[in-house]
Amino acid sequence: MLNKRKIITIISILLTLTLILSACSAPLNSPGNNDTKENGMVNLYTDRHYDTDQMLYDLFTSETGIKVNVVKGDSDELIERLEREGNDTQADVLITADAGRLYKAMEKELLQPVASQILTSNIPPNLRDEDNNWFGLTVRARVLVYSKDKTDESELSTYEDLTDPKWKGKILVRSSSNIYNQSLLASMIAINGEEKTREWAKGIVENLAREPKGNDRDQATAVISGEGDIAIMNTYYIGKMLTSTNPEEIKVAENVSVFFPNQETTGTHINVSGIGLTKSAKNPKNAIKLMEFLVSEKAQKLFAEANFEYPVNPDVQSAEMLKAWGKFKSQDINLSLLGKYNKKATEIANEVGWK
Amino acid sequence: MRFIKVNLRFLNVWSIFSFLFVLGIIFSNLLVFTSLFQAPSENWEHIKEYLLADYIKNTLLLITFTGTFTFLIGTSLAWLISFYDFPLRNFYKLAFILPLAIPTYIGAYTYTGLLNYTGIVQSSLRNYLNYQVNPKLFDIMNIGGAVFIFTLFLLPYVYTIVSSFFQNQSSSLIETARLLGRKPLNILLTILLPLARPAIIGGVSLVVLEVLNDYGVVKYFGITTFSTAIFKSWFGMGDIDSAIRLAASLLIIVFFILTLEKMVRGRKRFDSSTSKLRPITLQKLSGYKALLAFTYSFLIFSLSFLIPILQLLYWSLITYNNVLNNKFWQLLVNSISVALVATCTIVFASVIVANFQRISGTKLSKAYAKITTFGYSIPGAVIAIGVMVLFISLDRKLFWFYNIVNPESAELVLSMSLAMLIFAYVIRFLAIGFNSVQTGFEKIGKKFFEASRTLGMTTTKTFFKIDLPMLKPALVGGFVLAFVDVLKELPLTLILRPFNFDTLATKVYQYASDEMIPEAGVPSLIIIVVSLISIFLLNKMIMKEEG
Repeated sequence: MLNKRKIITIISILLTLTLILSACSAPLNSPGNNDTKENGMVNLYTDRHYDTDQMLYDLFTSETGIKVNVVKGDSDELIERLEREGNDTQADVLITADAGRLYKAMEKELLQPVASQILTSNIPPNLRDEDNNWFGLTVRARVLVYSKDKTDESELSTYEDLTDPKWKGKILVRSSSNIYNQSLLASMIAINGEEKTREWAKGIVENLAREPKGNDRDQATAVISGEGDIAIMNTYYIGKMLTSTNPEEIKVAENVSVFFPNQETTGTHINVSGIGLTKSAKNPKNAIKLMEFLVSEKAQKLFAEANFEYPVNPDVQSAEMLKAWGKFKSQDINLSLLGKYNKKATEIANEVGWK
Repeated sequence: MRFIKVNLRFLNVWSIFSFLFVLGIIFSNLLVFTSLFQAPSENWEHIKEYLLADYIKNTLLLITFTGTFTFLIGTSLAWLISFYDFPLRNFYKLAFILPLAIPTYIGAYTYTGLLNYTGIVQSSLRNYLNYQVNPKLFDIMNIGGAVFIFTLFLLPYVYTIVSSFFQNQSSSLIETARLLGRKPLNILLTILLPLARPAIIGGVSLVVLEVLNDYGVVKYFGITTFSTAIFKSWFGMGDIDSAIRLAASLLIIVFFILTLEKMVRGRKRFDSSTSKLRPITLQKLSGYKALLAFTYSFLIFSLSFLIPILQLLYWSLITYNNVLNNKFWQLLVNSISVALVATCTIVFASVIVANFQRISGTKLSKAYAKITTFGYSIPGAVIAIGVMVLFISLDRKLFWFYNIVNPESAELVLSMSLAMLIFAYVIRFLAIGFNSVQTGFEKIGKKFFEASRTLGMTTTKTFFKIDLPMLKPALVGGFVLAFVDVLKELPLTLILRPFNFDTLATKVYQYASDEMIPEAGVPSLIIIVVSLISIFLLNKMIMKEEG
């Protein structure tokens, strides 16, 4: 009997140990655990989930032998995580699809400046931080999308004009909880001031065709389905819809046109996907190599062609589709301001009832 | 004397383990709630003025309507299946459990893709019948749509609990009523519903808790509820204080519901007078009644399972080439192994706490049991942050130890590992395993245990020799339920996973938020198939047990 009890005890201990071991076995394989020196890897936090980005990282690995480890997540969550992990973070670089978020990471002192001739010469000054804490990688414009059948191009002019009573019940835009809209509002605060922006947001809400819902693609679809006339959305989604697996989505994209607002005045709102070196990066050299690689012509071309974004590197051509839309004038502000006014922008949206 | 000593020693093993589990749960939540006592930030004023009313309104609308519809549909299905025979009844009996395998967020993505302008319904009408419908009619990205999704895919909670209650409790009562000439509807309203009240309320409360915990559906539909608000103020505004205040408000709702459940359920318990239950003789429906029952069942089955599965299959067919690659198999391995480890831990912990509660029966052990099930009512987002804070502080305390093992060790070891995610799963889903195990223990009762103890066996030995074999079905049941829940889990996994670690659920979420819903087809289907296999295994076992 005593033996049996012993056996049972041993079994239960073994079971517990197995559980604990299996629970902890993963970190043994996980990167960065035992490296105090740089050993051929770079760890990145990114909120871009496009499968095409992985192609770029693979290319980087095959060229340099440096392995790229990726954690994907929502940008706010990643920043929160960086903050909590403090000096122990394994992340070497942070990539977000919005300049405002990089500014936020910088404000929280999670990033450090990078002195790189390659980065500063390949990226125009307004698309990177003044002190080189973060750098833009790709540009997207927030434009007006309409159907030629219903709307004449001559009726369109500026973002400000969308609050005109003639557009009552015609405007389509997604929720203000989305960062693209927050950054649009922030840019208007930077250019027109807080009061005018509040009035503008109020006017947009009054002219909405429906409660803000869905994503950017849904806004284009709603133009074609007849729910509204003018959609405010990002450029690259048109490209993504044209290459969609759903033939109906391709049809929608083929039937809409793109208009760049504010060409005569303050310019069209742009934003970037950008990258920053974390303050506690353990592999800073590899990280900078990756950053420089991502603004190289080869990588910029891939960004442009696979994801229909505008390259930041002025030497690189846009994709054919974007070229057909022609050159446009963009807002002349440093994108750091998008981060600076983000909080105010969110508050304004909440106050005027932009869902 | 020696007998008592041995007894105490072994009782301690159970109590110590229980204590440790409970401590883990309390700690990870307490750390979050400490800041509740600080002065509110200015953000809180802003939230209170412009947003809070909306959060409360939306959350209440969602739980009220989802609760009502799951009650109506779930109970009516349970009633049909338990008492009547109609074409394909045996098939439907099982089929109504199947939606359990479809996570609500996958349901939401699928129906959105089906019903939107570019989806199959509208485009077929347009292209083949040349009929342009008003897109507003098919718009489900609103509160009504969310209620629709929650109702369809949370239905099995009410259906399974109520139908098992009907089948176990009431054969003699209903037959007596039938003999006395009561009409079926009359029996339902005056006998069955009052009898099944505890089961119905239990099922509906589970549904309501699931709705409160949801992040995937409301986020995708753009409905502002407490769970999206917690995410938003925590991460978006960087305001932990407000997030905690929101969490506290949410918990008030949860407590209100739990109290309401207790009150409405009352103290009434109806026990069957005969110890051996006879199976109910099914009444055969014929004519239009049979047709009606069949059609109703078919409608629910189609909406909650068949249609979404067909749509996902179609999407998988057109996208599998882009999606299936080496990395994809890694996802599968990740999902299943992490769910296995978490579920084993859950069952292990459940057995310990439930057995401790049963044996000692003290107030303390009952409190343990309460706390154990508490995690299920807390939204995943809140648990995630609590666990993260706990693990980081643990790491800082254990740093000296890491240094002994490996002088070059980083300070953060645990909080960089899967252990953190698994721990969070355990807290979140312990209730699932625990309830199952506890029910198992209740079924066995204490008489075998007491007999064994009187005959000189120790508690632990009794447990392994007497209790465990009898408990096996409950253990497997708890295991399967918890496994499926972990596999489907989204918000915790999103926040707490380590480097390079994706699961099927996070991949589905990614594709959906990247506006690539067809690509989400394959991973969604795999989650569903794995869940289905588990459900079938469980069902087979229950059938075997019932003989």
